[in-house]
Amino acid sequence: MARVGEASSPVLTRDALARARMRASLVPDLLVEARRVVNTVIGGWHGRRKRGIGENFWQFRPYVEGEAMARIDWRRSARDDHTYVRDREWEAAHTVWLWADPSPSMLYKSAGATVSKESRALVLILAMAELLSRSGERIAWPGLTDPFTSRNGAERLASHLSHASELVAKPDLSILRRFSDIVITSDFLDPIEETMAWLDVLARHGVRAHLIEVADPAEETFPYSGRTEFTDPETGEKLTAGRAETLGEAYRWQYTARRQELAAWCKRLGWSFTVNHTDRLASDALVRVHAFMTADGGYASGVRA
Amino acid sequence: MSWLPLSFGFPAILWGLLALPVIWWLLRLTPPKPQMEVFPPLKILARVMKKEETPHQSPWWLTLLRLLMAALIVLALAEPVFNPREKLPTGGAALALVVDNGWASAPDWDRRVATAERLIADAASTGVPVLLAFTAEKPNAEIGPFDAEAARDKLRATEPRPVPVDRPAVYARVAAALETLPGASVAVLADGLASEGDEAAFGNLLGGAANVVWAVPERLSAIGLTAAENEVDGFRISAVRAADPTMRQVTAGAFDDKGRRIADATLTFGAGEAEATGRLQVPFELRNDFSSIAIDGEPQAGAVRVLDENSKRRRVGLLSQSEADRAQPLLSPLYYIRRALEPFADLVEPSSPDLAEAIPQLLEQKPAMIVMADVGTIPETARAQLVEWVQNGGTLVRFAGSKLAAAGNDEELLPVRLRVGERSLGGTLSWTEPQPVTEFPPTGPFSDLAPPNEVTVTRQVLAEPTADIVERTWANLADGTPLVTGAKREQGTVVLFHITPEATWSSLPISGSFVEMLRRIVQLSRNQGAAAAGAEGQAGSLAPYRMIAANGALVPPTPDARPLAVGAGKVPVTIENPPGLYGTEEGVFAHNLLDAETVLAPLVRPRIEAPVTEMRYAFDESRNLKGPLVAAALLLMVLDTLAVFWMGGMFTRRPKPAARTSGSVAALLVAVMAVFAPAGQADAQDAKPGDAEAIEAISTTRLAYVLTGDAGVDSISRAGLAGLSRFLVEKTALEPGQPAGVDIAADELSFYPIIYWPIDPNAAMPTEAAIARIDAYMQQGGTVLFDTRDQFSTGLDSGSASPANERLREILGNLNVPPLEPVPPDHVLTKAFFILPEFPGRFNGGPLWVEASLEAQNTDNRPVRTGDGVTPIMITANDFAGAWAVDANGDAMLPTVPADPMQRAYALRAGVNIVMYMLTGNYKSDQVHVPILLERLGQ
Repeated sequence: MARVGEASSPVLTRDALARARMRASLVPDLLVEARRVVNTVIGGWHGRRKRGIGENFWQFRPYVEGEAMARIDWRRSARDDHTYVRDREWEAAHTVWLWADPSPSMLYKSAGATVSKESRALVLILAMAELLSRSGERIAWPGLTDPFTSRNGAERLASHLSHASELVAKPDLSILRRFSDIVITSDFLDPIEETMAWLDVLARHGVRAHLIEVADPAEETFPYSGRTEFTDPETGEKLTAGRAETLGEAYRWQYTARRQELAAWCKRLGWSFTVNHTDRLASDALVRVHAFMTADGGYASGVRA
Repeated sequence: MSWLPLSFGFPAILWGLLALPVIWWLLRLTPPKPQMEVFPPLKILARVMKKEETPHQSPWWLTLLRLLMAALIVLALAEPVFNPREKLPTGGAALALVVDNGWASAPDWDRRVATAERLIADAASTGVPVLLAFTAEKPNAEIGPFDAEAARDKLRATEPRPVPVDRPAVYARVAAALETLPGASVAVLADGLASEGDEAAFGNLLGGAANVVWAVPERLSAIGLTAAENEVDGFRISAVRAADPTMRQVTAGAFDDKGRRIADATLTFGAGEAEATGRLQVPFELRNDFSSIAIDGEPQAGAVRVLDENSKRRRVGLLSQSEADRAQPLLSPLYYIRRALEPFADLVEPSSPDLAEAIPQLLEQKPAMIVMADVGTIPETARAQLVEWVQNGGTLVRFAGSKLAAAGNDEELLPVRLRVGERSLGGTLSWTEPQPVTEFPPTGPFSDLAPPNEVTVTRQVLAEPTADIVERTWANLADGTPLVTGAKREQGTVVLFHITPEATWSSLPISGSFVEMLRRIVQLSRNQGAAAAGAEGQAGSLAPYRMIAANGALVPPTPDARPLAVGAGKVPVTIENPPGLYGTEEGVFAHNLLDAETVLAPLVRPRIEAPVTEMRYAFDESRNLKGPLVAAALLLMVLDTLAVFWMGGMFTRRPKPAARTSGSVAALLVAVMAVFAPAGQADAQDAKPGDAEAIEAISTTRLAYVLTGDAGVDSISRAGLAGLSRFLVEKTALEPGQPAGVDIAADELSFYPIIYWPIDPNAAMPTEAAIARIDAYMQQGGTVLFDTRDQFSTGLDSGSASPANERLREILGNLNVPPLEPVPPDHVLTKAFFILPEFPGRFNGGPLWVEASLEAQNTDNRPVRTGDGVTPIMITANDFAGAWAVDANGDAMLPTVPADPMQRAYALRAGVNIVMYMLTGNYKSDQVHVPILLERLGQ
């Protein structure tokens, strides 16, 4: 039987940039939205004249049943018989951190997938960078760049990446401050406790995170059978299964449980969690994440497989 | 295998070990090469794999385990023996075993028995008869020949004896028996100590032997106590051992007749020395209690010595002829003697001053010594008895004086001839000086005492100088005249002090030397009681009383012990007369194993013509290793099985693959629960049935009513409490939950602050247990609101009670009801939320009864009386629930009587007050102080 998966060589950043541009251009809806955003931003780097996440007061509006009690502005509500909620203005120069997992496990590409996970992750990140730059947001790569604003943000980010000698496996996220966003693309295959411990600092700093799990179809479906020796690309550890097909069910259960748990955790924190398979289009994830970023307060349902 | 004491029964089987490499190769057979796959989520897979993994290549340790198991089985089949013992040459026509079982064999007797058993086993394997003889048994004991089994039984039945061995006699018997069995093997199991007649005995025994096995102990560690003497200042004990080049120190303990240890002494054998002495330095009184002396750690008869009366405290009789002595004690002739002897002797004095009576009286008490202070002439009858007593061993001590000086000589009762009259030294009419006492002569008993140089003698009686005066003199004056003389009279002793016993003639009686001298004489004397008692009984024989066992313990006499003949010289220690105490409780005679001259010499092996095999006494140390090896192999097999099970995932608690499909959802739920609700899971572990109801009942404040069983009454109660709850929500901060109907016989009541109980005469009377529960509820702080709902049904006749009232009385009869009163106008109930003068329900006019607050005071004319506590009971007849009851639309269900809307409002307010009173207690009565407090604060 031919091998199911292989470890591909790291993708060239410029190549990824090109593909990211292409991918971004394939998302017309998103482009429209982006243009609109860009247009509003041109007037000044200040408020978007709409409510959203930010620091400045925008408006009081009546409290609607079902909203969290904690959002009630009691000082205002005490003036008359109605209860009010204080809305804030969406701050303009919003910082969005972008990060793609550089670990060796991302290099995996199975026969059924079109690209490796690393390639997909980079494309997603650079497409995000392109979109965000166009709408005037500040973008940054933790551990690599400081937040910057640029019309050609994706290109600058790609050049930073291609010149970076070595990327940290798990960069320090404590430099991220409140009211910023972070987009993390990874396969999240580490034990979930470690992932949570790593990302917990974001939750404590009030950063809104958008997790994109890049998954290879072979990882999810486990199409192996027969006597198989599995090798971990990160540690080199080996496991030999006598009859791999007997493991499939239990493995899929574990794999899905991990994803569910991570998704539930994200939902609890108010973060978005998106799954993107490498045999599907990158635009799927792109659209979803963009929707999450523009959405305010309420969050769409968590997992999309 | 010289380096390892191991031998094999079937060494050929060991070739089976060559099969081990084959087994190893078989166990190492490897499966086909797997497909290699890169797989990033390996960690997740690893968790799944744990139970699935069935390694085709068994781990090295399992292979090792199995190889070890195979090797053990092969070794076990080869029948290995650890410490194999060599066979002894016990061939020939018979085996003659001569075993010493005397006192020196006792400590390691088991070892000797084991050695002998080995010899018997060897003889059994060759099938020869066994002659078994013991050297300390009775001379007529059976010696065989036996077969091996009988010999073994006899060997086990024999014990060491506390007596010396008698080799010549026993060996002669064995030799005689061997004459009919030429070419027999002889095994000598000796105790290693030489005894008399050894050479001849061995020659006799070993003359015709074909083989000789010679066994003696490696070391002669036996120590024997040879003497124990009660000396002046201590008990001297001496011990012997076989000469040994090493130094050895032992401890000897002295025991009283109850076996209690009362003194210790250390005996040190120098290197190469065979004798040692020790001293038990204890007061005289304690020494008298010694009953036996034993060496610690020597469990044999030779190390024990029993003591008899000879070492006991002496009885001393005192005689004097002066009667006026008591008035002037310091001038009494016996005063200093008594003071000197009291500490270490029993003093006996006759009751009569008449010597003819006094002397027989004294002699009846069998004193060891009699002290006569200046007694002159002794009546003839008494004198004869006295002389006989002295000759039988009594010690007579006499002091001089004017009477003695005048009485003349007495050959038997004075040690020397005296000159008539006395000598005076110094004084106004004399040129001579008072004489001091010189050194004590070395021949006398006082030789080692310090001479009393300060003592001077002014008067004395003089002895006739005779040829033997010097050897009879125990103490001299400086001019050489005897001061104390003594002489043997048969077994007894007569001592004369040539001075008076008081300080008139000399200063000796008031010196310390006087005490020492008297004490020394007492030591020399012998108690007459014991021996005499024995002699009075059966002439010359004493029954066994306490025997020394072979292990050194004092035991009751054995059946073998015979009476001991005393007086006829020294009796040897034999099996009939084992060492020990003979006599009765009143007087015993000590018969000891070893005498003072005993020497423990090692046994020398005689020249033997026949081949000799030397052996040691030892336990059989050969071990057949087949059993342990098989057991170890089985253990390894169990371990192997467990290891296989473990690797097969038998002990992991995971769902089986077949059950996983259905269990996956549940497992996922459990996993999510484990992450998000660990605390909840912990709580769930100690959940009990009924917890959900309890949590529901206590999570909100709920009003409760008693389910009477009548649906109409219960629905009205429920609707009433629901109406009250609604009113409470509207008017107060309290938001009660749904009213709860409680079954007082079964439900937990303590969750509810108040229970409304409409009395229904038609309902069944609650059981006693239910009423007891209500009682407990009231005692623990709950309140029951009884409502008879019969304000207008009693009619005008106040004497008759309504059925509901009757029922209430029945119920209350079983409750602990406090004194009641109608709500007084200043009660907290009237102010708890609304200000209410009365508490109407559907009816009006009936009072609300509450617990009488007897101690409550309202001295300051306040609106509310003070007082603690909440009434546990309220009784009304106004049908509260009827007034409160509302339907689902909030409309009143029942009309009030009279139909006054305000009455319903008042009824609801009454309910609010009651509930507030229940929940806040006397808080309101404290609130009435607020204006005053505010006023004070304002100032």
